[in-house]
Amino acid sequence: MEKKRNGPAEAGRGMDGKRKAIVGEIPGLRRYARALLRDADAADDLVQDCLERAFSRLDNWQTGTSPRRWLFTLMHNLFVDGVRARKRRSELVAGAKLDTQEVTRAPEQNGVLDLQDVLDALQEVGSDRRAAILLVGVEGMSYAEAAEILGIPTGTLMSRVARGRQDLREILDVARRRRILKAVE
Amino acid sequence: MMTQRSFDERDIHLALDGELSPEDMAAYQAWLETRADMRALSARYASDRALLRETLAGLIDEELPQRVREEAISAGRDPVGTRRTTLRRLAAAAALLVAVGVAGGFWAGRQALNGGETPAALDVVGEAVAAHQVYAAEKLHVVEVGASDRNHLVGWLSNRVGTKLVAPDLRAEGFDLMGGRLLPSGGKAAAQFMYEDPVGERISLYVAHCVKGENTGFRLFEDESGRAFYWQEEGFAYTVAGSIPEERLLGLANLSYRQLLAGR
Repeated sequence: MEKKRNGPAEAGRGMDGKRKAIVGEIPGLRRYARALLRDADAADDLVQDCLERAFSRLDNWQTGTSPRRWLFTLMHNLFVDGVRARKRRSELVAGAKLDTQEVTRAPEQNGVLDLQDVLDALQEVGSDRRAAILLVGVEGMSYAEAAEILGIPTGTLMSRVARGRQDLREILDVARRRRILKAVE
Repeated sequence: MMTQRSFDERDIHLALDGELSPEDMAAYQAWLETRADMRALSARYASDRALLRETLAGLIDEELPQRVREEAISAGRDPVGTRRTTLRRLAAAAALLVAVGVAGGFWAGRQALNGGETPAALDVVGEAVAAHQVYAAEKLHVVEVGASDRNHLVGWLSNRVGTKLVAPDLRAEGFDLMGGRLLPSGGKAAAQFMYEDPVGERISLYVAHCVKGENTGFRLFEDESGRAFYWQEEGFAYTVAGSIPEERLLGLANLSYRQLLAGR
């Protein structure tokens, strides 16, 4: 069973309907890409590549498949390809400092983490586990749906979710301790 | 009475993610009542998930960049053509320039559209990769001072290089510190820390002086001789080099960066 937060499957809609359905998924795709990659430009590149591919392959979209599942699968494949493509060019990968400048930091309260802290923490989780906890925990997908998108068995997905959360928990603890230190300084 | 299944930590995730059947859910709740440790863990995972959701929710409100918007509107009406690809590259470059402007001219005049780097930066990263090649391949004398003497090693290299160094703990990524050595770099001293994982892969962190005021984010350097992530900050260039997959190397660079930052 899949959870459908984003409307019904695209049965019997025309091209325009499909296009509209795709556009409706953009916010979720962007959030997922950004959480996956941290760097805003890299994330929007990924979303854009995904949209390009989606629009050029509208015919491949099986009626009955939710637009979300189809698009996230496309994007996952591009993300995996992108790891290879990035090798060809020297680029700003993390942009940690650039982003820091743009983001207003939360006041130095003890152990309070802001968006940047959370994005940084996610980067420290291995990408397989990161994808799993984001799809399930943030995008609200079922294990079956997330496993299909990532092209792995449900059991593997399950263990990636568990391990990913365990990793994240430890990383967040460290990040909070650092926050507290900063606040004390 | 039916045989009840037993529960463990994994069920916390299943419950949290709505993957337990209603019957199991009731039994799970009963089990949880008897386990204070698991209740705490469950609460913790729920609050971590809430943190992710809340902080990432803000991303949805960020304005869609023009280039993505155009894609959404125009794509699909004709096949993906070269014209738009070119436009897209330009738009991406423009967006990059805007981002740079906003960030206060971090790379102003340096990070050109052709991806140019300053010669000085490439010199340092080249040195780092070369030093990695030479010493990572060494069998007997990989390091001058071994990790068993960690405090001495770090103190010595900090003094010679002239900044407070830390030898990052990379065990979380499977790499143990082997030790380090002092190296020459443009008439000054540079430090190299060498690490090894259980299968014998080696990576090194190289710290050398660079031009003050040239702060950068992470950059990837690659040529036939090796791969490295490097960044510059406050007059020092940091390079994490190794012949391991890019993503893994980036993880190690990240971990090093954070520890160096925390150690300052």
